[in-house]
Amino acid sequence: MKRIFPGVPIRHPKLVMAIIAVLTVGAALQLPKIKIDTDPENMLPADEPVRVIHRAVEEAFNLNDFLVLGVVDERTVFTPEILARVQTITEALRDMDGVIADDILAPSEVDDILPEEGGGIRVQTLMESVPASEEEAQQILVQIRENPILRGKLASDDGKAMALFIPLESKDVAMEVGQQVQAIIGRDRGAEQYYLAGLPVAQDTFGAAMFQQMAVSAPMAFLLIFLLMLFFFRRWKVVMAPMILSMITVIWTMGLLIGMGYTVHIMSSMIPIFLIPIAVLNSIHILSSVHANYHRKESMAETLHHTTRELFLPMAFTSLTTVVGFASLVVTPIPPVQVFGAFVAFGVFVAWILSLVFIPAYAMLMPPSVLDKFGQTHEGEAAPETYLHKIRHFAVKNRVAVLAGVSIVMLIAGYGVTRIVVNDNPVNWFKPGSPLRVADQVMNQHLPGTYIVYVELSGTDEGAFLDPAWMGWAERLQNQIGQQPNVGAASSVVDVLKKVQYELLNREPGSATLADSREKIAQYLFLYEMSGGSPDDLFKFITPGQDRINIWVQMHRGDNQQVRAAVEGVDEWIADNPPPAGLTVQWAGLSYINVKWQQLMVTGMGKSLAGSWVVVLVMMIILFRSLRMGLLAMVPLTATILITYGWVGLSGRNYDMPIAVLSSLSLGLAIDFAIHFLQRTRDIYRQHNENFERTMTVFFHEPAQALARNIVVIALGFIPMFFASLVPYITVGAFFFAIMAIAGAATLVIMPAALSYFPARVISGYRHRVAGGDSLEKAATAARR
Amino acid sequence: MRKFILSTLLVSGLDAATALTPARAQAPDAEALMKEAHLNMYYAGDDGSARVKMVITDKNGKTRERDFTILRKDFAEGGEQRYYVYFYEPNDVRRTTFMAWKNPDGDDSRWIYVPSLDLVKPLSANDKKSSFVGSDFAYEDVSGRHWSDDTHKFVREEEKGGFQTWVIESVPRSGDYFAKKVTWIDQGSRLVAREEYFDGKGEVLKVLEVTKIETVDGHATALERRMTTPRKQNNTMIVFGSIDYDQGISADIFTERYLKSPPRQYVAGQ
Repeated sequence: MKRIFPGVPIRHPKLVMAIIAVLTVGAALQLPKIKIDTDPENMLPADEPVRVIHRAVEEAFNLNDFLVLGVVDERTVFTPEILARVQTITEALRDMDGVIADDILAPSEVDDILPEEGGGIRVQTLMESVPASEEEAQQILVQIRENPILRGKLASDDGKAMALFIPLESKDVAMEVGQQVQAIIGRDRGAEQYYLAGLPVAQDTFGAAMFQQMAVSAPMAFLLIFLLMLFFFRRWKVVMAPMILSMITVIWTMGLLIGMGYTVHIMSSMIPIFLIPIAVLNSIHILSSVHANYHRKESMAETLHHTTRELFLPMAFTSLTTVVGFASLVVTPIPPVQVFGAFVAFGVFVAWILSLVFIPAYAMLMPPSVLDKFGQTHEGEAAPETYLHKIRHFAVKNRVAVLAGVSIVMLIAGYGVTRIVVNDNPVNWFKPGSPLRVADQVMNQHLPGTYIVYVELSGTDEGAFLDPAWMGWAERLQNQIGQQPNVGAASSVVDVLKKVQYELLNREPGSATLADSREKIAQYLFLYEMSGGSPDDLFKFITPGQDRINIWVQMHRGDNQQVRAAVEGVDEWIADNPPPAGLTVQWAGLSYINVKWQQLMVTGMGKSLAGSWVVVLVMMIILFRSLRMGLLAMVPLTATILITYGWVGLSGRNYDMPIAVLSSLSLGLAIDFAIHFLQRTRDIYRQHNENFERTMTVFFHEPAQALARNIVVIALGFIPMFFASLVPYITVGAFFFAIMAIAGAATLVIMPAALSYFPARVISGYRHRVAGGDSLEKAATAARR
Repeated sequence: MRKFILSTLLVSGLDAATALTPARAQAPDAEALMKEAHLNMYYAGDDGSARVKMVITDKNGKTRERDFTILRKDFAEGGEQRYYVYFYEPNDVRRTTFMAWKNPDGDDSRWIYVPSLDLVKPLSANDKKSSFVGSDFAYEDVSGRHWSDDTHKFVREEEKGGFQTWVIESVPRSGDYFAKKVTWIDQGSRLVAREEYFDGKGEVLKVLEVTKIETVDGHATALERRMTTPRKQNNTMIVFGSIDYDQGISADIFTERYLKSPPRQYVAGQ
């Protein structure tokens, strides 16, 4: 293997390049077919029970996802002027594509139940026409407050805020509708403020922002990595090789992903950002080796043969462990994460193969003049070298203190890991201060909440909910829901029934109660329909067959931590207060789905991480043929994962999806350092008669320099991502920085300190191993000297 | 009989004419046709009674049923009339009664009797927008939209739904919930065979189809009517049975007293 790889590209560089070019063009042709998917619902498979139930509930009650347009004025929004503007906006909304005109909730669209002169009830539009006077405008607020179905949903009790709920035909029109709404608002406005909130707009806007990030952050990182490499290797034509390689890797991977019909989700949009550094890493090792050896060898071909022999095994293992780290994501029950893991794994594999094929071919095609002085003049001048030796001396001299210190840090980090809070909310994917975050905050401060969760109660028989015992239990449940923290309001058909009776009985004190007989419940609903109430409005709360009812729950915060707290509180109450036999309770709604996939994510990620940790350990034991060496190899990555996640726990940051998948990256990258360290150390150790001090001196010359370059290139290369407008991208940038810094430091400090305790036999591996290639190489090197 | 001969002549005449030249017959008077159809549909005889079965079907194919007896008495042809409705189904609303005094010049008056409360209550739902008992029919569709509310224009003759029809386009005289209505009047019975309502964007709001016309007591009667709301994929089928005309229904029936105690001679199986 070691001989085939450099052999073919060295002999037929043009053919190899042509094949790569053809494949790259083929993959690139797939890219325009890209389909973006930002729907968090798709975090779960379509047949996941929670999604099936959600869809069934949406269908049964004809529910749709909402945008929420907030109107806020510090005095009151109930003035004729503001209501007139709201009316204009509403009329425009009715004609807007993608908006379900019939289901808009706005003062001119919703029905109110009013007392009728002579003692009946009248169901009529809340605001039939724009009021002419302040008094009439305030009267609308009074009506909203007196109607439990509208109260809180449509306006705050103080009248300073109003909410228009805009139902969408599908979530992917959210941003377009949002922009049209903004345009209408911009046309004519007074002192009042407008805010656009709601999960769909966050998701859809995020999709658009994702494109910008892919177009800005990734190329910026790419450029910076290029410049850093240029600083280290000085030859731009040389440095171009890993850059082209990483581009090809990205094109092949994304081309395959898109070509296979997968949608690009928030996770898969980050594949290029993950692949670029990983692809560059192997190349840096190769370049460093070529850089160090070129002037000592007779030709490029010989240099490449030497480099490949030296690096083949560590590169194979670093690549395969990274593949394992990402491939393990396939066991998580979250399809976008599975796709992400599978394709990053594929990309890493491609990068590995390309580094064995493309780099030699590229090197052979380069005119020798480019490499004239490559590797001679700057050797030993780059800053990290001197420091590297100091680090090593310090680590070995103070090995007890170093290892004890590391143990303490790991213990603290381990404690931090136990404090991790799993939480995500698509709105938090935007930076604080972005219009969406501000809208979300303002709206949920004034109103009972823009995050909607549904609680569906169902029976088996038609008319089941006409039974006062069933409806009575629903009433108690609704009260319980309303008392949960984070719940701003809950409304249901119970409110309709109470309001009908209240108005029917001339607002007698104590008449706003639930009807006590089956006939009354049936007749009130019938009366509601006869009185002008739209059946469609009623069917949002109760099915036509009266066998299912739906409680609308509005929550202030969509973070699934808070949503879950409310759900658990209610579930506890249900356990203590069982419903009538035959009645079942189910939760639905986007915010509830988010809770579910978060739960699955935590357990899934835990399994995937544990599984890949074990697999990598086994690989290490096989590679080094030593349990102790294998375990030592796991130290930097374990330290990296513990410290980064311990910090997440201690700093109170939310463990969200990007943070979750980054554990795979930690694992994949951190082990690379250990492999290079141990494998190269072992080789050098054998070459230098098992003299540990000399081995370290040699290792901390060229191989450690390559590691240090990796650390600097990747850590600094991702600084542009700190300035991304989307939080997950910032997180990824920060993690790259942290992983490189911690794993690098752990490798260069902990490994020499720990290795100094190891007996020679363990470090060198089997003493009398039959190692054809290696011993030949050793002999050749010795002869040359 | 005269109508029948006329329409037969017209149809056969058309058959002959279409091949050669467009029918050059004088365009019919649209307003007169609309008035005649309205009177035939909603003012047949001086009074009438029927047992009505209504089936509301939603987009998922789920159905809801209504079963009621309806009594009608006209006080002026094309003018004031009164309705009385007694509900048998849905079961839990049985004995609910409803009464409407239709006043073409002003607001209608309506009352409902709620048996579980033993109370008669007035209702004043908007008759154009409000659904009748949760069906696709608005109140206005049950008692008929007065021809004088719109201006009418004859468009063409055509065969539609098995009827040879005159097609008339109507536009509301003043702002309304629809922008345009197209009516197909059956030339044989002079009843409305089909109506389509359009909004300002030209989208269909609702469609009325008459699927069965029979002559009862000498009055051509639309026995089966379906109202469809395409946007909601919802439709309501009404089937009239046990029709009687000119029984001399007393005006007394249409009073609050009979809301509470339904008239036995017209209402079965209380």
